Amino acid sequence: MSHSTEIDSKHAWDGGQSPFRVSYGKMMMWFFLVSDALTFGGLLVSYGFIRHKYVDVWPKAENVFTHFPFVEQHLPLAYVGLMTFILIMSSVTMVLAVEAGHRNDKKKVIVWMFWTIVGGATFVGSQAWEWYHFIVGTETGALRHVWSQELGTYVEQTVYGANMVVNEYGVPQFANYFFFITGFHGFHVFSGVVINFIIFLNVLKGTYEKRGHYEMVEKVGLYWHFVDLVWVFVFTFFYLL
Amino acid sequence: MSEFHDDYPSYEHMAHHSEEEGKKARRTLWNVFWIMLAITIFELVIGSMAPGHGWSGTLWLKVLFIGLTLAKAAAIVLWFMHLGHEVKFFKYVILIPYVIFMSYTIFIILDEGIYSGEPQNRTKVDPILIQQQLDLKAHHGHHEAAATEGHGEEGHAAEHGEEAHH
Repeated sequence: MSHSTEIDSKHAWDGGQSPFRVSYGKMMMWFFLVSDALTFGGLLVSYGFIRHKYVDVWPKAENVFTHFPFVEQHLPLAYVGLMTFILIMSSVTMVLAVEAGHRNDKKKVIVWMFWTIVGGATFVGSQAWEWYHFIVGTETGALRHVWSQELGTYVEQTVYGANMVVNEYGVPQFANYFFFITGFHGFHVFSGVVINFIIFLNVLKGTYEKRGHYEMVEKVGLYWHFVDLVWVFVFTFFYLL
Repeated sequence: MSEFHDDYPSYEHMAHHSEEEGKKARRTLWNVFWIMLAITIFELVIGSMAPGHGWSGTLWLKVLFIGLTLAKAAAIVLWFMHLGHEVKFFKYVILIPYVIFMSYTIFIILDEGIYSGEPQNRTKVDPILIQQQLDLKAHHGHHEAAATEGHGEEGHAAEHGEEAHH
């Protein structure tokens, strides 16, 4: 793709061409992604702030996310590692679909987009599974002071799992941020799967073959990689640190 | 320059490449993938070893994880999203505003975070919560004691006492 770097900088802004050497649609996709990245950046920064405010009582991820499907043992962080692998993998299949599009290879675009959609759907399902276990909690639960409306005071009570008010693993703020940020990301993945599927149908129908280029695949690919990019940060700040 | 141009070059078609170039591009992409996978596995291994070795929460671990995360992010943006192939103008238009805004926000939380983290400015939390986290730490300490034949117990006990003092 050496063509895109060939630019006469003296005349780049004289009109008659894009000084950025990109089409309008792709540029707008990039601008959207920058604004979306600012939203996620803001959320993660605010997460960092609250985490440091409650540093003594912030739960450790390895004590919270210990389940793995069909396995009785506690395997901390194994499942989220698998989820990360699935998402990175689907990012690779997406970029391979984009590459095939650059060669107008319809068959390969179909194959790689199919696997991208499978990977994305698996990731969303895994996240639902993770949420389920986080909400249900452990069998033993944990003691908490919970506000009682009738008595007008706090009473000790055993709570199970996490929701927006109580969290058996630590401060409720952990659950709030976990639900909000992974939920917001999960919704991005879900929309990505839907958009990927629509583009996939168009590829099958031959819309882009008629058009002569597969730039729509590249654009939806940008969005898909962005979703992966956000997950890299969510993974680090929620699970590793 | 005053006349209206509607005969822009077709940038969509310019992205096309040959079979040969495709082969090379695919090799690069797979290499990027293997590197990213290796980084992720390395992070998980270090992450799972951290509590046992008393690395949790240390500065070097945080710096290591954030550094590796930024490396992965750069790989995604430059190769998977092809920003590395775009012209310089475009790269800067995308990256500079983001970097400026985020550096500012990160500066703000570091500044305010230090203020709100001072003992007199801390928010009071349910004492049960504090006890729970202490118990978890102690529990983890026993685990390690069993695994490393009582090697880590003293260190953990000392840490425990110190925390309780606060």
